Amino acid sequence: MRRITKGIAALASVTLAFSIAACGGDKKEESTGAAKVDPASLSAELTWWDTSDAKNEGPAFKELITKFNQTYPKVKINYQSVPFGDAQNKFKTAAQAKTGAPDILRAEVAWVPEFASLGHLYALDGSDLLADESDYLEAPLASNKFDGKTYGVPQVTDSLALLYNKELVEKAGVTVPKTWAELKTAAQTIKSKTGTDGLYVNAAGYFTLPFMYGEGGDVVDTASKKITVNSEQNVAGLKIAKDLIDSGASVKPSATDSYGTMMTLFKEKKVAFIINGPWEVNNIKTAPAFGGVENLGIAPVPAGSAKAAAPIGGHNYVIWSGVPQEKAPAAVEFVKFLNSAESQAFLADKLGLLPTRKSAYEIDSVKNNAVVSAFKPVAEAAASRPWIPEGGQFFGPLDQMATEVLIQNKDPKAALDAVAQKYKAEVVPAYSAS
Amino acid sequence: MAQMTTTPPVTAVPATSGPARINKPRRGRRSVGASIALHGTLILASLIAVGPIAWVVLSSFKPGYAVQSTEVTLFKDPTLANYRYVLFETSFPTWFLNSVIVASLTMVVGIFFSATTGYALSRFNFPGRRSLMLVFLITQMFPVSILIVPIYTIMANLGLINTLPALMIAYLTIAVPFCAWMLKGYFDSIPTSLDEAASLDGCGPFRTFWRVILPLARPAIAVTGFYAFLTAWGEVAYASAFTQTDDKFTLAYGLQQFVPQFNAQWEYLTAAAVLVTIPAGIVFLFAQKHLVSGLTAGGTKG
Amino acid sequence: MTSVTADPAPSGAGLMPKLRRSWDKHWTAWAMVVPVVLVMAVLIFYPLVNGIWLSFTDQNEANQLAEICTKSITGGEVCKENPNAWSFVGLENYINVLTGKVGEFWQWTGTTLIWTVAGVTFHYGLGLGLAVMIHREMRLRGLYRVLLVLPWAVPAFISAFAWKFLFNERLGLVNSVLNSIGIDSVAWFSNKWSALFVAIITNIWLGVPFMMVALLGGLQSIPEELYESAEIDGATPWQRFRAITLPGLRPVSMTVVLLGTIWTFNMFPIIFLTTEGQPAGQTEILVTGAFRAAFEGIRNYSLASTYGVLILSILLIFSVFYRRALRKQGEVW
Repeated sequence: MRRITKGIAALASVTLAFSIAACGGDKKEESTGAAKVDPASLSAELTWWDTSDAKNEGPAFKELITKFNQTYPKVKINYQSVPFGDAQNKFKTAAQAKTGAPDILRAEVAWVPEFASLGHLYALDGSDLLADESDYLEAPLASNKFDGKTYGVPQVTDSLALLYNKELVEKAGVTVPKTWAELKTAAQTIKSKTGTDGLYVNAAGYFTLPFMYGEGGDVVDTASKKITVNSEQNVAGLKIAKDLIDSGASVKPSATDSYGTMMTLFKEKKVAFIINGPWEVNNIKTAPAFGGVENLGIAPVPAGSAKAAAPIGGHNYVIWSGVPQEKAPAAVEFVKFLNSAESQAFLADKLGLLPTRKSAYEIDSVKNNAVVSAFKPVAEAAASRPWIPEGGQFFGPLDQMATEVLIQNKDPKAALDAVAQKYKAEVVPAYSAS
Repeated sequence: MAQMTTTPPVTAVPATSGPARINKPRRGRRSVGASIALHGTLILASLIAVGPIAWVVLSSFKPGYAVQSTEVTLFKDPTLANYRYVLFETSFPTWFLNSVIVASLTMVVGIFFSATTGYALSRFNFPGRRSLMLVFLITQMFPVSILIVPIYTIMANLGLINTLPALMIAYLTIAVPFCAWMLKGYFDSIPTSLDEAASLDGCGPFRTFWRVILPLARPAIAVTGFYAFLTAWGEVAYASAFTQTDDKFTLAYGLQQFVPQFNAQWEYLTAAAVLVTIPAGIVFLFAQKHLVSGLTAGGTKG
Repeated sequence: MTSVTADPAPSGAGLMPKLRRSWDKHWTAWAMVVPVVLVMAVLIFYPLVNGIWLSFTDQNEANQLAEICTKSITGGEVCKENPNAWSFVGLENYINVLTGKVGEFWQWTGTTLIWTVAGVTFHYGLGLGLAVMIHREMRLRGLYRVLLVLPWAVPAFISAFAWKFLFNERLGLVNSVLNSIGIDSVAWFSNKWSALFVAIITNIWLGVPFMMVALLGGLQSIPEELYESAEIDGATPWQRFRAITLPGLRPVSMTVVLLGTIWTFNMFPIIFLTTEGQPAGQTEILVTGAFRAAFEGIRNYSLASTYGVLILSILLIFSVFYRRALRKQGEVW
């Protein structure tokens, strides 16, 4: 899920064919990692690359580290904030050279299968981290699984929802739409009654997924190894999105910085409905013109003819496979602490992050958190994405398609066919095209 | 090869030039109309050059919500909070120091190596001379982005990951080829009679280079030095790959922290950008003082 | 005006004495270039040669290892043979790219050419004009020089963002100025040509100061006396410019135009950040297109190298022609 900010991220590469270190050989025998560790005597130094927002989220994570050190005084955590835009390539480059990668990384969901397939991550099966696997929500946990093993634990989950400006919606006297058709009329009513634009459809691949999911489509079918991105359902979904724009229900999106424009308009009450995720709630809350969180309505994305669904996103904690075995227990303890129900509740409280543990939702502070409770059904209904190593590469062609269809009026079927062709040629050649 | 360059021969001079006219201002000879046209053009050009930067500067005094807004304004709730945050609540001072170290070293070491190389290319017809110049070009032709992973591996083998020397070396590979070409061109325009005179006075080739030629090449050194400095000052891709902890980040890379996945903090980015630009401007202020004719000022007639 | 003379034709002498003589004659020159050559060889040339080799394989991040190992946090490591280990594929990458099976090579090359020609022409033209102007003695010269050089001093990625903001369709300054004088907003990035126009403007703005400063340095090597004598001979300013300035700047111009072309051709951040390739990839140039094709997700080293080699070849061919064109006018390099 590569969205919006890209940093400059001009990292790249050609690798050296001979830099392959033989990694067979010395196989250590299975030791029981679940053996009890004594917090006071456990000693290690760990580096953690945090890819969260350094200014708004970083401090809360640093607070968690302080708490961790109260129980584990001898585990030194080197917290390093890494710009999200280049963390993925930075980690891979370092891991591949076997030098300089962090012990622990906060990885975006699509990165985990990719890193795992490259052998950059420890499999966590059998460790304390997965002892209570059933406590995790299934969908966020799924992004950590690759080839039968689990390579991470979900830190936070998210999904897209319909965000709306309560004041505008009430002023126009419309009800919160449950289907795309209702959204269309609601947006048009708002436009005619208040003069404010009703809706902004972001012209980006990720944001077109709810339209396609709504008709029962998806990009690929991993079970049968089929490229399904140019299915009839997806064409129908895109036509709905296109119709929203053509009918004037939605503002015509711009080709660059469509996301930023959408957010600016929404924060300044210049548009009533948008589709976006929980990560923007803080932003909207603090925007002086918006009217605070009281004015923010959150509802599941509208349904298409088949269902209402949005793609799942979020971040996971992973441990680099280059971490020496003797440091592994400390790494496990640290991640366990970071991802305990209490820590998740703490982060939900502070930052509005959606917990991935069922038990975290039982904690009072989470239960009483209006935003988290509003997003809970959204996250629970989120559609899993194809968790394959190539997962991150689906969005480039989709973004291009979104611009072609929503801005340049290209025929949806033709645009999707081109995407399918690109997937076949460049992303998943082993899959069959439909 | 042996053919003369078309640089105008210095011998064209003596007959007409009075001894007092060396590099003297010619201002008095410009008509009023020409003056207005000249200043008018330069003011317009300066406005265009400064315009987008002015926008960055103005944004840096706005609160975050006003940087990108439906209301396009020049001023909006002006504040110094962005600067305060960048200076005191981030590692900006450390990044700044790192950038100063890396950029200055790149500049000094880069000039040194390019000058020797440029001189050799200009004065000696050694075997490998032409291919070396071509090789310099080729190193600039392969896109940097493709080279990062293998260079990382080499740096890792040298134990240089997360060190400032790694960055300096990487920047030298960008700066030196251009600087060497540039200086070679400039050295070409310095009459070889000077070298010969120096060698008659008993100077070896290194001394000649150091004492006679280098001082004459001041303008070119200033240009290439500034180029080397800026290359290191604003580079992001290598810095992003080779540095890993806050205490080693350079400015340009450190600034990326203000652009997280969502919710880019434009107000801090712009404030930091202003703070990054000022030192570069000051360096140029010094460099441009040396943009005076080395040839005439140094007196080539001797 | 160099002191170089052609090497004497190799005589029939034995190899050792020849080397010896060569060493005696050239050791100074070699000593002066050897540090640079060493660093270049290790850091650039070796990866470059390796890149050429990679372009004949199908190596990517996933298949470069012969076996893939999974370490378990509880101890133990399982390695299995990589089912799709990389192999030598000959010219397949080149065929795929050049026939358009993978990527949009020809479209990107076309855009790159427009981008480069426009960029370098304006860089050089405007840079030369400004350099000549601020070379003169006049009031406020120092101020003009500093102001004009500022675009170069701002980190490029910041400028890229700034220009993108200025041209934002709905929130940008440019459209709001247009609106205020009664012109409708322009959807700058919705059309290939207007988007490319914005990118080129950004690049020109960014690159002129470099040219200006480089040429300003070059202007210092032209003796003032030449102008004075020409003036006395009654030459017009234009004649002086043609007869003295341009030839005097030749060595510098040759270098900056050549390298400027190479750099603009491979200029990454402007397209990547300002237009983001929009609309729908139509403003992608070769480097950004290659980056997106090869480095998003599983990094495809062989594909990246293939593009790298193609870019290198295009630029090499350009250099050869450039050199030939210049040679007609005198010594080149």
